[in-house]
Amino acid sequence: MIETDAELLKQVLAGAEDAFTALYRRRQGGVYRFALQMTGSTAIAEDVTQEAFLALLLHGTRYDEARGTVASFLYGIARNLVLRRLDRRAWAEIEIDDDCAATDDLLEDLTRRESIEQVRQAVLSLPPVFREVIVLCDLQDSSYEEAAMSLDCPVGTVRSRLNRGRAMLARKLRGVACAGRSIECSPKIS
Amino acid sequence: MQSEDFLAAALRKLAEQDREREAPDAVEARVVQAFRQRQVHRKWRNRIGWSLAAAAALTAVFLAGVHQGTPPARYVAPAHGVPTKPPQLAVANPPVTEVPDAEAAAPVKARRPPLAQPAQPQSREVVTQFFPLVDVAPPFERGELLRVTVPASTMRKVGLPVNEDRLSEPVYADVLVGQEGLARAIRFVSYEQ
Repeated sequence: MIETDAELLKQVLAGAEDAFTALYRRRQGGVYRFALQMTGSTAIAEDVTQEAFLALLLHGTRYDEARGTVASFLYGIARNLVLRRLDRRAWAEIEIDDDCAATDDLLEDLTRRESIEQVRQAVLSLPPVFREVIVLCDLQDSSYEEAAMSLDCPVGTVRSRLNRGRAMLARKLRGVACAGRSIECSPKIS
Repeated sequence: MQSEDFLAAALRKLAEQDREREAPDAVEARVVQAFRQRQVHRKWRNRIGWSLAAAAALTAVFLAGVHQGTPPARYVAPAHGVPTKPPQLAVANPPVTEVPDAEAAAPVKARRPPLAQPAQPQSREVVTQFFPLVDVAPPFERGELLRVTVPASTMRKVGLPVNEDRLSEPVYADVLVGQEGLARAIRFVSYEQ
């Protein structure tokens, strides 16, 4: 029978190395990818993964199964570790224009060119407060509820940040697509 | 709507590309090594905790024997009538400034335990913070604070500086024992004039 993360964590806190190894192998990939997609640095992602699991050993007793999954708890730890490494000034929310939606054809063009790395760079260029919801919900397949627990904020905040983050991302990708086609992409003025 | 689909497709491709990326094996080795070290440290701390609890229990038994036939030591509120809550002490807490008559009549050696640092009547008690002896413990409901003497080397084991040549000297310590009998924390006591 496969044990749940919560069951494994209980065993870990009681000192079971097998349980710790099992939990690590099950969850390290997600934590590593989250840190990598948030920072773009494999070195930082490795450090964050290591520190997140050590922090789980120290603070695992604070985990409350009623509040969410162990994975969300781990993402929350990893998020705090990433936050320390990012410029805190960049963490502040910024306002975005309302008319920043990308045009369909340009995004289609971008998709055709399969510029995955450009998408990665566009995600990395988002302000962290929007980047983290994009990474969690769109790249890590976390539910809104799980993301809310990881980010320690209401579900409604996750939804609104996700909408704004996607809009900003679309605008950035439109810029990438424009650069690729060498055409001017200034917004229409009515 | 179409732009949302394209955006979702772009993100999906990025997610798929990263799906197999994982932390290197070296990270697992380091994390597991840290886990093992922590377990060793934890076992050591538990052992110290149980040793202190045993020492505290022995001290309590010894003191109970010494004080047999005399009224149990009680906390006496200050004469000026400041309302003070009596502490929950299992044994008499040195320094004892007033000795009951029956106890005073007994020989000195039998009356008092051999304390390493006899408190002066006018001295002031100085205590350190409490140092936890267990990592994970059941919720604390009630407990007792036991005054014991331990080697000064115990202070070093919780990170306090001790001179090399004084490691074997006895020092006072208060051990907090929980309702389940587990020694949860320790603090060290000294006296200043």
